[in-house]
Amino acid sequence: MATVPILDADLLQRYDRPGPRYTSYPTAPQFTAGFGEAELRAAALASNGDPIPRRLSLYVHVPFCLSPCFYCGCNRIITRDLGRAETYLARLYREIDLTAALFDRDREVIQLHFGGGTPNFLGPTQLREIVDTLRRQFHFSDNADRDISIELDPRFIEPAAIAELAQIGFNRASLGVQDFDPAVQAAVNRIQSIEQTVAVIDACRASGFRSVNVDLIYGLPKQSAEGFARTLNTVAEMRPDRVAVYSYAHLPDLFKAQKQIEAADLPTAEAKLRLLQIAIEQLTVAGYVYIGMDHFALPDDELARAQARGSLHRNFMGYTTHADSDLVGLGVSAISHIGDSFSQNARDLAGWQGALDDGRLPVFRGMRLSDDDQLRADLIQRLMCQGEVPVHALERRYGIDFKLHFAESLHRLRPLAADGLVRMEADRIVVTSRGRLLVRNIAMCFDRYLDPATASAPPRFSRAI
Amino acid sequence: MSEPTLAPTDPRVAADDGDERHFCSTCAFSQACLSQGMDKGALLDLHMLVEHVGPLHAGECVFRAGDRFEAIAAVRAGTVKTFTIDREGREHVLGFHLAGEVIGLNAIDGESYPCSAVAVDTVMLCRFSFPKISVLAARVPGLQQQLFRLLSRDIGRAALLAGDWTADERLAAFLVGLSRRLAARGFSPDRLQLSMARTDIANYLRLAPETVSRVLKRFQDEGVLRVDRRAIELVDRSRLEALASPALRE
Repeated sequence: MATVPILDADLLQRYDRPGPRYTSYPTAPQFTAGFGEAELRAAALASNGDPIPRRLSLYVHVPFCLSPCFYCGCNRIITRDLGRAETYLARLYREIDLTAALFDRDREVIQLHFGGGTPNFLGPTQLREIVDTLRRQFHFSDNADRDISIELDPRFIEPAAIAELAQIGFNRASLGVQDFDPAVQAAVNRIQSIEQTVAVIDACRASGFRSVNVDLIYGLPKQSAEGFARTLNTVAEMRPDRVAVYSYAHLPDLFKAQKQIEAADLPTAEAKLRLLQIAIEQLTVAGYVYIGMDHFALPDDELARAQARGSLHRNFMGYTTHADSDLVGLGVSAISHIGDSFSQNARDLAGWQGALDDGRLPVFRGMRLSDDDQLRADLIQRLMCQGEVPVHALERRYGIDFKLHFAESLHRLRPLAADGLVRMEADRIVVTSRGRLLVRNIAMCFDRYLDPATASAPPRFSRAI
Repeated sequence: MSEPTLAPTDPRVAADDGDERHFCSTCAFSQACLSQGMDKGALLDLHMLVEHVGPLHAGECVFRAGDRFEAIAAVRAGTVKTFTIDREGREHVLGFHLAGEVIGLNAIDGESYPCSAVAVDTVMLCRFSFPKISVLAARVPGLQQQLFRLLSRDIGRAALLAGDWTADERLAAFLVGLSRRLAARGFSPDRLQLSMARTDIANYLRLAPETVSRVLKRFQDEGVLRVDRRAIELVDRSRLEALASPALRE
């Protein structure tokens, strides 16, 4: 499905409505407090019981940031007090102790990712200590494809520190850029020079990092077609292996930081669409392959190769080449996907710390997936990653009659098929080039938890475009 | 929105219940009794109580070692694990009992159960409550034969563990054994749904849990089988049969 998505302005505007990004199905709003520590322990125990237990992916959340970016919707704490890291790490090690004990020792870790906040709020020495602790408590795979990755804010890291990260074992980095346009940078309170960014990318390359990703955002205040085109040009010249172009979701009632953004400075829906169009055009011309959702990669990047092979996957960390693994989230607000369960740690520092100080796992909500949830999660995963729903394969795997089981979904899908977003074939449903940018809307047809009233309800999710 | 109806992934979980006059479709004894012209009513007349038990949920006990022996039980749905605990507190798994199989047979010659039995998943049972099984067996010759058959099958299964077999042979024998037992009940012999945990399989086969996974992974790499979570598809059953044959012949 390595085709360029077709951008049809009329279609995109008609389908531009709030919807989940499906980094999980069911999505986080379905998690409940009824799923607590006992349920998480049971889920981990059951996951150890598989004949070939799944490998593990670890996620460590570092909530601190030195400075507030106004667009941010992440769980983070703004502070200049570096000392706060130490108290956080003390609790994190306690959580690692408690959590590692849940998993059989022979379950290999194939992926470790640091996200935030700003993971490089922590210095290389602290990061080394965390990685060493994890290596002692978990069994890290020796496979060549084992990844240790980190999100970096290029404003707060010296190139010399990158070499240290490589020594620790880090081999992938994702850099926040958003936009190099000075007017936009001022409007979102994130002043970052091209030089700073290039220096970090060069240092990653020199240190032997396997891949570098750059994050951009479209739909930011003061963003213009010309400015964003220049940014894309600059980024393409830097030649990162992957580029993510996220849509800015203005939800100031949900994310406090966004209150600082003047709604009047935001591009109109039409202008925003134009920004997306520019991104797709320029990145495609520059030789990047569209992976799906908001992701692009160079053709020889593992993500693009995995896509070509049909072995692409998606989890809370976005697209990944690592096949089904159990995801273990560590740190405040981190989400886990263990066996048939989703769970999330306390989102406030006090709640997370309190649980750990009492010797409890800091989970505060979650859910156990029903058979139907698992089937739909599998289906949505295939839509997002392979661009198609293999009807017979799902019928066989889950023992269902597809037409009967998904009668309602197929009904909801009908107008999308009429609009040419999907093609209905005898034994599969295929996302067309026109539908690729709207894969969220297609997936929403199969989401049991979205009733038709969603469109009129206040947005809990960002909009599709 | 209506509740979706999900067809059960595994038809083995469905227990087809009988009633006062009719045997359940999975009953281990119905053939023996019916061939003697005895229906459930006739059994009742012999003071043999047939009692449906369950559902028991995963981890719930059917009986404990040392409990007074009062009944044997036929599994109607689900899987039951039998085990003993040694003096050091270590568990030894004796076997897994599927729908249509009988547990408690090894208590027949004593006053109490020599082992414990626990539900591995959601289990439905039929309890045959009769203190004097031999009296009944004497009146129903077919039942006696059936009991002997079941007993000898139990002993045969234990032999699999006693031999000096390699990990590959043990695992192959385990899978082939399961496959044959399912086939005998009319289920697909090529799709196994393992309800028991890896540690229990390992314990039963006297292997380390990681060895169970390693061998399965190798079997999978060699195209002998495919593992999808708890489901195992036997792709090349003849290969497995060949591997298992020394252990199963014993």
